[in-house]
Order: sequence, then C-alpha cells, then structure tokens
Amino acid sequence: MGKITRIVLAGEGGQGVQSVAEIIAEAANKAGKQALYIPNFGVEQRGGVSVAYVQISDGNIGSPKFKTGDIVVALSERAVRRTGKYAGPDTTYVYDSSIKGIEGELPKYAGRFLPIPAIDIARHDFHPRVFNIIILGAVVGATGVIPLEQVKDAIEEKLGYKFEKQPELRELNFRAMERGMELVDAKNMRESVIFKEVAPAYEIF
Amino acid sequence: MTEKIIEQEKRAFLTGNEVVAWAALAAKADIMYGYPITPQNEIMHYWTRLAPRYDKRFLQTEDELSAGFTTVGGVLAGRKAFTATAGPGNTLMQEPVSMAEMLRLPIVVVIQQRGGPSTATVIYSQQEVTMTTLGGNGEGMRVVYSTSSHQELFDYTIKAFNTAWKYRFPTFVLGDGYQAKMREPLTLYDPESRGIELIKPEPYVGKPGTPGVDRAPSQFRNTYSMEEELLEIVNQYMQDYGEMAPQVAEYQVANVEDADLVIIGHGVVFRAVRAAVDNLRARGLKVGYFRPVTLRPLAVPQIKEVFSNSKKVLVVESAYGQLARLLKEAAYGTTAEFLTMFRPGVGITAEEVEAEVEKILG
Repeated sequence: MGKITRIVLAGEGGQGVQSVAEIIAEAANKAGKQALYIPNFGVEQRGGVSVAYVQISDGNIGSPKFKTGDIVVALSERAVRRTGKYAGPDTTYVYDSSIKGIEGELPKYAGRFLPIPAIDIARHDFHPRVFNIIILGAVVGATGVIPLEQVKDAIEEKLGYKFEKQPELRELNFRAMERGMELVDAKNMRESVIFKEVAPAYEIF
Repeated sequence: MTEKIIEQEKRAFLTGNEVVAWAALAAKADIMYGYPITPQNEIMHYWTRLAPRYDKRFLQTEDELSAGFTTVGGVLAGRKAFTATAGPGNTLMQEPVSMAEMLRLPIVVVIQQRGGPSTATVIYSQQEVTMTTLGGNGEGMRVVYSTSSHQELFDYTIKAFNTAWKYRFPTFVLGDGYQAKMREPLTLYDPESRGIELIKPEPYVGKPGTPGVDRAPSQFRNTYSMEEELLEIVNQYMQDYGEMAPQVAEYQVANVEDADLVIIGHGVVFRAVRAAVDNLRARGLKVGYFRPVTLRPLAVPQIKEVFSNSKKVLVVESAYGQLARLLKEAAYGTTAEFLTMFRPGVGITAEEVEAEVEKILG
C-alpha cells in the first residue's frame, strides 16, 4: 500500500463541507490517485453536524471510514465537539478562529493546531459564499498531495454552470482557494498577521 | 433508441448507487420496480434519470412486497427486471423472492445493507447476510454476490443478470450503505465489447403457438396439493442448485500456504482484511486471507481446504456471526480454531483487524 492521506471535514449544514470533500476527492481522482469520499448520513434530514470523510492514496484504500484523520477540519462549535475523536498525535487540526468558547472542547492530542480566520476573510475580502472554497484551499494546502490544476478542474466541473452565467465568479473562487492555501502555508505562518491576532493553540499537546 | 449505452471504456468517479444504475443499463435490463428506502434510494433516482434516454422503464410500487411481485411479473413477461432494497424492505422482499425460487424466475435484487434489527440505522451493516442467503420459507435457492468495491459492484451487477437468466434462480447483489453512498473510481465498459455475452431474456407466458400443439404448455406453480409432488420438485431444484454451485461459487484467497492465521471477511469489510494482511505481512506476521465472493452458494471445497490447512481462522464481520454461521456449516469436520470479531452495524478498519490479530498471535 502507498502512502494514504485521510481527511475529516465537519461543519453545519449549508457550510458546504460535502461539496469541499467531493471536489477534493474528484481532484485526486483526476490526478490519477485512488480516492474515496463518503458523507455521514442518518435519519435526520436537517439540523445535524455534516461530516465528510476523504481518503487519497497511491494504492488500495481500505475501509471507507477511519478512526484518525491526518487532517481534521471543524467549522462550527458543534463540529469541534464532534471531531475531537478523529484527532491523534499526527493530526493537523484545522478550525475557524472565529468559533467562540471552544478552548476546552479542542482535542487534547492533535499534533498541530491551525486556527484559520476563513469566515472573516470570506466576509471581508471575498463573499461569504466562498467560505467553503477558502476551506478547500486550506485543505489542499495542508495535504500537499493534490495538484492545483486538478483542483481547479474539479471546481470547474462542480461550479461551471454558475461560472457560465457569472464569469467573474470563476476568478473569485480561484482567488479564494489560493488564499485558503496561503493560510496554511508553513512559510507564511510565522509572519502572518492572522496568526498574531489569534492565540497560537498548536502547543497544547 | 438503439444508442449504445457505454461507447468506450471510461474511468468514472461515482457513488455505488449510481454504479448499480449504470451496470443495470450496461447489462441491458429493461425495467426496474422499486420502493424507496435508504440507503438504496439513488439507484432508483439514477435509473429514472437514465432510463428514458434508453427506452427503459420504471415502476414505483406501494411497498417492497409489490416491488418484488412486479419484478416477478416483469420476468414472467420476458423482461430483464430488477429491484433494489435494504433492511426492512429486504424483509418484505423475501416473500416475492420465495415465489421466484418456486417458479425458477431470474429476478435480480440489489441489497444495500443497513443496520438491524428493524429500522435500526439507515447507514451500514452486514446484518442482512442470513436473510439474503437463506430468507423466505424455502431452501435458499438463490445466488448472492457480495461486492467490496465499485468496480465489483459494476462487474457483478452485470454478472447477476447473466447468472439469473442462465440458471433461473433469483440472484442478489449484496452491497451495503457504505458502498451505496461512497464515491470511488471505477471503469465503466460495455460488456459485449469485452466479449461478455449477455444472455437474452425470454417470456415465460404469452408465447406464440397453441399450447399442447405447437409447444409444450407453460405451467408455473407455486402451490401443490400433495406432499410427494412438492418433495419431487424441491429435490429436483436442489439437485439443479447443487450442479450449479461449482459453476458460480467465487472466492479470493492469498497468503494462506504458510499462514499461522487466516482472516476471513466479505463485502466492504474485505477491504480492511486485505489491507490488514498486507500490513501484518510487512511486520513479519504469517497471516493470509480468504474472502467468499458468493455467499450463496459458498465455495465449499475451498473453504474446507483453508480450514483444514490452517491452525486458526478469524472471521471478521459487521454482524453478530451471520457469515460465521455459514462458514461453520461449510467447514464442518475440519479442525481449525474458530475465532471471531463481530462488530454488528459498524464499519471495521484495517487497524482494528491488525490489533485483533496481534492480540491473538501474541
């Protein structure tokens, strides 16, 4: 078996975590990798936390769900509570820095914590609706296994019909994604104004 | 309307439910009958979206009993007919499947297992093994393929139609909620372009000519007045079934020759079993795997061989012993120590299997 990357994405319904997961898996597939994406689903039709599981590998992928993610992304307070169990000593735990009151809720054993101000950036620099595309960029940046070109192809496939009507959306989405990638870029992390503003939580372990 | 469904082989990235709809089209199925239940709903959704383009039909019925019986009717009329269901729907489906067994009707049924008993979860399990292999008031005269990947879901859905129409026993494709809902890559192809002959359906009733003059009369009975009559017919069917078994039984096996322990799993759990064996071998542990692809009929001689040559076997399943029970019967008279790992209604990862094996082998 080749190296495998496991990603958990969790958020509220409407935050677009399933779309992000689908684009990531589709992009990995386009890049010729094995990819598997499965959403959680239950009897509730609304109101639950939406969780998506993605695996990317060069070889066979085992069970569709897994116990510990390499990258775990939580986009709401409830998502933070729900995803703690997926964090282990090698997990990069990404969460939105605007989520309030979660200090005690963060997993104790993540390898590294990455709070990112995706909600604020979407609102102030782009448009609230590209929030999930910023997250997509952050995941693509944090995994480092999916080529940008295929990610853009997958976005095009998923949102192309919207871009036809409003071509400026394409540029907006691609810039949002690149901004997301910058947020998790290790080189930028130290100098980043963003990371000075929020308390660096990645020393908890 | 004679448009070829899959022009050339193509890699696709789909959910399992979409795969089943595409496979049924590729197998030249004529009609699906169905009643919605999670997690198989999208088979119906995709079929109804694709069907009109290729002059195919769909009928939504009022429940699974009706979906099963209309599938029976479709087959009697000479159509390649199928249905799909899960959980409590599979329970109801056993009644029409029994009738298909008694009339030797080649209905195809796709099952996406969910948690049980009763409504339980709509998510996943391997708890419909007993019911799918041996359900109904009969002798389990059906073929059951248990798939473990989207490629297999495509391959075996196509194969199910051929097996059903060749041997005239109801045939199941046994998937699960994970396979239904997950996306992964596979290659879609036109079976005939690969040299797979698709068996043509033929009507049971309404054939041309005068019965008794131009052709033998058609008589299809599921009711008998005399015990002896029934005995004769059931014995005949079981003999046919026994003769078919070695032709259709399929399995997968690896690394058992020198193994201290053989892990057995089917369906989606096999993915974890195979990964665990790879990882454990890499750590120097002598383990192998055996995977039944057909759960009914089982590859009995190969199972006996594995159980005769191994000191220990570990059966891993997302149910409380439903596969284990089938294996015990097949392996009767052999001596391997029989170990189990039952996780009813939840997924099983390679890491969990590895931990269990390490505990066993110390």
